[in-house]
Amino acid sequence: MSFQPYVGVDRRHEERWRLGNVLRERTRRFLDKRIPRARSVTLDQRRVFIFPSATGFFFMLCLLIMLIASINYQNNMGYGLTFLLANIFVIAVVHSYANLAGLTLTAVAAEDAFAQQHAAFRIRATADSGRGHYSIKIGWAIAKEEKGRRRLGVGLFSSPSMRECQELDLDPGETEEREFHLQVGERGWYRPGRVHVESVYPLGLLRCWTWVDLDLCALVYPQPKAAPVQQTAGSAGEDGLQVAGHGDDEFAGVRDYRPGDSPKRVYWRGVAKGQEMQSKEFAAVMSDTRWLDWDSFAGLNDEARLSALCHEVLSYHKRELSFGLRLPGKEISPASGDRQRRLVLRTLATYGKTSEEQASEADAVSDGLVRQPV
Amino acid sequence: MKQADQLPRGALAWIIVAQALLLVPHVPHIPLWVVAVYLCAFAWRVQAFRGRMELPGRWVKVVMAVAVAGGVVLSYGSLLGLEPMVAYLLTSFALKLTEMNTRKDAYVVVFLGYFVCLVGFLFTQDLLLVVYSLILVWVLTAALISVHRRSASLRDMRHLKLSATMLMQAFPLMLVLFFLFPRIPPLWVVPLKSHSAKTGMSDRLQPGDVSRLSQSDEVAFRASFEGEIPPKNELYWRGLVMSALDESGWRTLRYYEVPASERVKPRVDTIGPRIDYSVILNPTQQNWLFSLRHAQSKKPGIMNLADHRLYSAVIVESKLLYDVSSWPEAILDPTLSEWRREIETQLDPVSNPRTRALARSLWQDSVIGQTDLLRGELGTRAFVNTVLSYFRENAFFYTLQPPRLADSDSMDDFLFNSRRGFCEHYAYAFAVMMRSVGVPTRVVGGYLGGEINPVNRTVIVHQFDAHAWNEVWIEGEGWVRVDPTAAVSPDRILYGLEQAVAAEGSFLSDTPLSPLRFRGVDWVNSLRLRYDALTYRWQSWVVGFDGRGQESFLRDVLGGVSVRKSITVLLGTGVLTMAMVSAFLLWRRKPPLRTGFAAELYRFQQMLYRRGLAQVAGESSAQMTVRAQAHWPKHAAELSALHRQLERMTYAPAAEPVDSNKVKRTLRARLRRLQLVL
Repeated sequence: MSFQPYVGVDRRHEERWRLGNVLRERTRRFLDKRIPRARSVTLDQRRVFIFPSATGFFFMLCLLIMLIASINYQNNMGYGLTFLLANIFVIAVVHSYANLAGLTLTAVAAEDAFAQQHAAFRIRATADSGRGHYSIKIGWAIAKEEKGRRRLGVGLFSSPSMRECQELDLDPGETEEREFHLQVGERGWYRPGRVHVESVYPLGLLRCWTWVDLDLCALVYPQPKAAPVQQTAGSAGEDGLQVAGHGDDEFAGVRDYRPGDSPKRVYWRGVAKGQEMQSKEFAAVMSDTRWLDWDSFAGLNDEARLSALCHEVLSYHKRELSFGLRLPGKEISPASGDRQRRLVLRTLATYGKTSEEQASEADAVSDGLVRQPV
Repeated sequence: MKQADQLPRGALAWIIVAQALLLVPHVPHIPLWVVAVYLCAFAWRVQAFRGRMELPGRWVKVVMAVAVAGGVVLSYGSLLGLEPMVAYLLTSFALKLTEMNTRKDAYVVVFLGYFVCLVGFLFTQDLLLVVYSLILVWVLTAALISVHRRSASLRDMRHLKLSATMLMQAFPLMLVLFFLFPRIPPLWVVPLKSHSAKTGMSDRLQPGDVSRLSQSDEVAFRASFEGEIPPKNELYWRGLVMSALDESGWRTLRYYEVPASERVKPRVDTIGPRIDYSVILNPTQQNWLFSLRHAQSKKPGIMNLADHRLYSAVIVESKLLYDVSSWPEAILDPTLSEWRREIETQLDPVSNPRTRALARSLWQDSVIGQTDLLRGELGTRAFVNTVLSYFRENAFFYTLQPPRLADSDSMDDFLFNSRRGFCEHYAYAFAVMMRSVGVPTRVVGGYLGGEINPVNRTVIVHQFDAHAWNEVWIEGEGWVRVDPTAAVSPDRILYGLEQAVAAEGSFLSDTPLSPLRFRGVDWVNSLRLRYDALTYRWQSWVVGFDGRGQESFLRDVLGGVSVRKSITVLLGTGVLTMAMVSAFLLWRRKPPLRTGFAAELYRFQQMLYRRGLAQVAGESSAQMTVRAQAHWPKHAAELSALHRQLERMTYAPAAEPVDSNKVKRTLRARLRRLQLVL
């Protein structure tokens, strides 16, 4: 599992043995064992961490001052009040924990996105039947490196900076679904990493948090970029064999209307004459069936080629053209429509990605986790 | 400011409520303008909340902070000392309201609020204040919870419920910590309550002082005796011994006036019966303590002065509990040193000429005809009796409203003109007359008698029990108590002030609502005494729980004090509490067996069974109702009607939405009525 608790930075070139890195690596391994990746996680004592918040430390300081005042003035009720407050702090540990425990988080969906754009992730929070959960913050921690400085202890002594942080209150038995928009990185599979769930309810003195790996994973298409096409010999036939029923170019006759035919193609003149509904058929010349070909962008590097192909896909789809894809070692026969667009874009997105992440592609699709493309 | 850090509306309301409640117990000891600052801050914040006003900018805030500091200095003369610090704390607390926007600000305000609660205890630890402070902590904690509830409405009472739950859960462990935490001495010297008024007897006595004090119904101290309570007319609580007389009246000797050799208390042989008792003195802001003669106390920090009175090394700023043993028959100063004899007979040779002349002529009368043998101690005694009978036989009146005396030769004015006076007048005149003929005499200030609370057998001594009397030194007997007031008004000594001035109707005439004026009303009086008994118990417990009290308590409960035992108990209670709280919070409750109207139908069945209908297994509710109708033919109609409706609501929910709670309430009311008649 290549999991990163903090997201988005390639750490391969960093010094391996810096204290921070070692600790982070340890945390990562610890978390992977403690809270393994799962589509749905119910929080319990193994998964929830608790530590005084900054406010909690301030409160302790206040308690210390109150204790000193009680000692100096030899005031018994002062002692009583100080100890009462100190014990509320202690009792709050259980209350804070109970506020997170029993909460179930479920990954609902992750939408595909183009590189450097935002993907939507949907998470469902379900409350325990007997307890409410309040002031729950859900979001993703920002890696410290992104802020340009490193600090040890972030995550323990203070809550990390979060992106796409949302706060929600759930009464007992309630369910709420939230959508988070996260900026994705490069082409391929994008994992936003562990979801940071945090709450300081009820008193704000203790921070109760967990990182759950909901196995959220969005597919990132290449960034569409136009590039000039270079015609090559094998790319298109010259004979102009017409294939009926697929293209959009030349009128070839009419046939009986079938449900699902575009209204543009209905032979309205015939309808006006009182005939049965008929659809016009156009024939596309074989050579005009668009092939998106890896080789048509010979001068470019791989990513640029994919970007160019992606751009083509979008423009053909917009023009409702039929297109096929030829990549080294892979070919998709021409078709048109949303399905084709998605299939082609996904093929482009995963081209050359042979990591184990592709394995999870299969179950992501079969689980319906991945919804329609953008 | 991030949206997430913004203070929810509900929290603002809760904090304002908590702050208003916090101010109440402090009102008596802060200047009124602090209350005004509070009200302005509340108004400002509420207006800002409604969008009618802007919150103050930075410079306005700086100006306000400086202004209130200036105000405190103007009111108290300085910023140091407990009261000015409290006043400053409270005003800044109010001003903080005008800049409260984020959760962080709210934390500061709530924590400050807890601190203000604690400061209240520095002034008094009365039971009422303790109960009130518990309510304060409850509301403050609710406010703290509301800071984290964005979606909750302003009237959401769940914060209060959760806060109460947490307080109750925290309570047992608090008690354990309270008893186990070692009572260590102060770490450093703390600011004193230099600005509170000194109360009770003062160390100067001018005519009119005691009668003014006697207008107050405040409790001076409470005493609880180990054995029998001595008769009321023996309860002369000595506090001050005034040996010096100057133009303004009697006063105690200053420390520097006493030569070093005279500062040591002379040894007293403790003879005769011993009386053991403990006193809880209300704060006086003075050093002297009250006790019966001759008193000794083992409490550290309490000294016995050369004139045989107890003296606290530090000013009594909060309630003080001390145990005393007294030997009423002990002889004080069997011999008198030259210095002391001189001090105790000193008299201005010019003032009060008529008084001195009178004394000399009385001395002649009482001593003439006596043999030389009797001139010594018997002569003094005889003269004392002569003077007392002079007071008794002439038309002297005992009154709470004595006329003002002339500034010079005041005793001449009293003895020959007004002849109306309170105890201090008689003690003053008596001492002057005795000293005129060279008898060592001094004025003693303190309290006489007290009210015996039958509920817990304590003696409650009020300010109106204040009294002044004399001590005369007699050869061989030492200092002997003489109370000239007894000659004028024996009622005062035997029954107390109220009886003595009953005819005058002047008792507590300035405080018409004092509960002490309603002692005639039985239930008021018994309520008052009961509350006082509770107060005494509370005070002796709270005030007395110091290092020694803790040690003896722990020895009683744990059978010994050791670190290991303490830690065991602490950890044990901690673990037990946490386990119970966790169980309470995390135990999965079973969902109810029956919900909605099925539960009501079940209730109906159970009620009939309880009323004596035989239970038959497997029958439907309709069959059961038929049997019930046969069982109670008188109520057959109502039974079947109720059953029909229950059945309809359970199995055939109405097509149009109904307010099911309302229906349930009416059904239950019908069920109750039926239950009563079956």
